[in-house]
Amino acid sequence: MFQLSTLTVLLLMFCFYGLTFLVSLRVGRKEENVDGYMVSNNSIGFGMSAASMTATWIWAASFYAAATAGYKFGISGALHYGFWGALMILFIYPFGRRFRQLAPKAHTLAEIMHARHGRSSQMILAGSNIVGSLISLMVNFTAAGALVAVLSPLSFTHGVLIAGVGILTYTIWSGFRSSVLTDFGQLFAMIFAAVVIIPIIFFQLGGPEIFAQGMPKITPEQASFYSKTAILEQGAPYFVAVLAYAIGNQTIAQRLFAVREDLMKSTFVTATIGYASIVIGLGMLGFLALLAGIEPLDGDLNNLIPQMASTYLPPFAVGLFFIMVIGSLSSTADSDLSALSALVMTDVYGKNIAKGKPNPKTMLFVGRLTMVLATMLAMIFASMKLDILTMLIFVGALWGAIVFPVIASLYWERITNAAFTSAAIAGFVMFLVARFELLEMQGVVALFFELCASIGGGVVIGLMAFGFLGKRAGFVLGALAFMVFAPFAFGFLRDYPVLLSSLTAYGVSTVVCVLVSLRSNQTFDFDCINERVVAFHHDAEPDTVNGASPCPVSL
Amino acid sequence: MSSFALTAYVLIWPAIAATVMVTLCVSLWRDMRKAKRDGTDLV
Repeated sequence: MFQLSTLTVLLLMFCFYGLTFLVSLRVGRKEENVDGYMVSNNSIGFGMSAASMTATWIWAASFYAAATAGYKFGISGALHYGFWGALMILFIYPFGRRFRQLAPKAHTLAEIMHARHGRSSQMILAGSNIVGSLISLMVNFTAAGALVAVLSPLSFTHGVLIAGVGILTYTIWSGFRSSVLTDFGQLFAMIFAAVVIIPIIFFQLGGPEIFAQGMPKITPEQASFYSKTAILEQGAPYFVAVLAYAIGNQTIAQRLFAVREDLMKSTFVTATIGYASIVIGLGMLGFLALLAGIEPLDGDLNNLIPQMASTYLPPFAVGLFFIMVIGSLSSTADSDLSALSALVMTDVYGKNIAKGKPNPKTMLFVGRLTMVLATMLAMIFASMKLDILTMLIFVGALWGAIVFPVIASLYWERITNAAFTSAAIAGFVMFLVARFELLEMQGVVALFFELCASIGGGVVIGLMAFGFLGKRAGFVLGALAFMVFAPFAFGFLRDYPVLLSSLTAYGVSTVVCVLVSLRSNQTFDFDCINERVVAFHHDAEPDTVNGASPCPVSL
Repeated sequence: MSSFALTAYVLIWPAIAATVMVTLCVSLWRDMRKAKRDGTDLV
């Protein structure tokens, strides 16, 4: 395999992070505004925000996983990865409009939950966001280490260290504003590389001839657009995760609060198309590798893309590929750092330590300190090479258990703090039981979990329909989905623990949330959210009616 | 499926990505001009 020299790799990384740092200096301020540090000016334009959303959503794992799907599942594999991943962006849009309408000055979703319910709901959401962002940061550092180790004589640790220090250096001063500004350049590098690399590899492999030679050699399932294996093992679990990742990811929530409100729709649609085209395109390399009969190095499918790049690309294009992957992981990692700082600044320091009256200078210090600590932790975890997949599954399930409580809390006035908290805990516990088969999945137990998962399936479809088509469509399509899904689920889903457990988290959390809420007669005035969620930098006083606030102060 | 259709299926994605990039570049250029004209920050 072709390798770049140590000097070339060091020069490429130094130039990349050096240029990014210089770009970030353009938005540096002597007196940084804490709100700007977390969500910019709430009115970023279309080009910048769509590019930032796309770049953030594409991480290094997107390339490797899409190519793996293409290699394993054939013609539809890359679609089953990239299409559903892209829909995650699109599906937060209708709910995002509601979040912006209720709390235009919000910094995090957990902050809105604090205003809606109180501390326990806020900390469940903030905690899951923090764990998710930390894992994402670690995965991106791991990818940097692996890339440097495969494509150069340098070691894994060198790659992790250079990427960690480089990303922290340009993000720490201006936080989210640096992240958004540099995302544009990073996305440009990614798209340019993808546009050049995909056709070069395709024609190096023989162009259209590869289909005549390769298609007869693959299995009928791999040659079919409607492969059942691809749907059940790749598409369906990913489809279930669509809403969970959209709600649970603070990096997207931050951009949701940062974009100019009237540009939200065009931003989300463009980011969806941009993400799909880049990731599915690179996933096609896996499909081409399958047709060409290429065996992944050491049997590790993660080596597939670097292997194809180093085998079929000329040296300059290998350099481009290197920058593409570094750009993708850096744009996500700087967004994770910004997300983590916003979560700790707002939800830990602002709402819980400073009790809603933070000192802006201390708050900024807390944000920067968070970035340094998070970078150190992620570098340590990356060097330990922990089982990332298991950790991602945990976080994904936790997010699945909070999707219904979070969304319903902002539409249904009867949901209480107790309902939110008990629903999230019950959903997560039942997920653990199903995922790790703590109870034997047979007989009545298996039927019970399949019933919960069927309800979960109805909830997923119902929420998606509700987002775009309204309440009635949500109820009707959700109920229809349950009725169609349940007969297939009984006796069948127990053999697919990933899908069963994910859907169970949705189903159980929804049932518990609804039942506990119905036991209470409490109602909530949604106007109170806007009063409680305010900018930190200005000493904004709540609107009052005859000198008294209409909403009780939430601490 | 014909080789032509499969070729289009593989190469359509970089073409869409390039179109998105052009759209974003034009929008950014407009945003930069507007920010300069209004004396405001881009981010």
